[in-house]
Amino acid sequence: MVVLRTTRGPAKIRLNLTAMIDVIFLLLVYFMCNTDFKRSEERYRFDLPPRGQQADPFELPREPLIISITSAGTSYTIRIFDEPLETFEDLFAFLDEKRIRASTGGGLYEADYPIIIEPARTTRWEHTMDAFNAAARARYTNITFAPPRSG
Amino acid sequence: MSRLFKTGPHAIQANLTPLIDVTFLLIVFFMLVLKIPDLDSAEMDLPTPHDPVSELFGDEHRVVINVLPLPGGTASGYQLGVRVFGTDTESRKALSNALAEQYRRNPALEVNLRADRSTHYSWVEPVFQVVRDAARLSERDDVTGRINLVVSREP
Repeated sequence: MVVLRTTRGPAKIRLNLTAMIDVIFLLLVYFMCNTDFKRSEERYRFDLPPRGQQADPFELPREPLIISITSAGTSYTIRIFDEPLETFEDLFAFLDEKRIRASTGGGLYEADYPIIIEPARTTRWEHTMDAFNAAARARYTNITFAPPRSG
Repeated sequence: MSRLFKTGPHAIQANLTPLIDVTFLLIVFFMLVLKIPDLDSAEMDLPTPHDPVSELFGDEHRVVINVLPLPGGTASGYQLGVRVFGTDTESRKALSNALAEQYRRNPALEVNLRADRSTHYSWVEPVFQVVRDAARLSERDDVTGRINLVVSREP
């Protein structure tokens, strides 16, 4: 008769914790390092006008909406049609209110109405991007930048 | 009595030492690989627009142009990938040529424009001209000339 019983009793299954702790520690270091590389960066897509783009001869010319931005230190001034606006939230409210809505029929400008952001030479990039964000937030799609304005 | 188990049954043990070695090597490898894409992004404070409608990056092929910031809102140069170009006219032409070369290889290439929040517009705007010139120099009609204006979600 075959007896598999041993004199030392049944073998005990033991987990080797040292190796497991090693691996866990290494994984921890890996994820800590990896977290530093991950940036919370996002983008606004901006298409340069295509080369040699010809204006439609049958299209009525549209006077673009020009938004002038000037920085003085960290403060700024916004002008649209030479009318000053206090904040970029005001700029958003203005643009949003003027956009034509199919549902209500109100508004002045289509979503593809040309908007030109015209910063001064010394305008901070953050203020330029705030203006771009206000226009994009108001769902305008034809937003471009003018060359730097002197002054 | 069994002749096979005179000293009891064999315990099956996995040798964890080489496993840990290999794991460690893989971790080092991935850490190094993940560092490479980071080299083309210069350290700067990106703009953080209020209530942004920006979007996450997709899987498009892209290169990064950094406007390297200096105190006072100026810039020391432009960095394309890992190459640094000056701000003078000749350097900008060289930058356009380098970008045009990349457009020839991939016309659908997108340009990520990164500039510090304090940098003046007069140092950022030349990048638009550089991209226009590069699209022209590439002599390809299918270049999109798309620029991604990079911002940060973090305050």
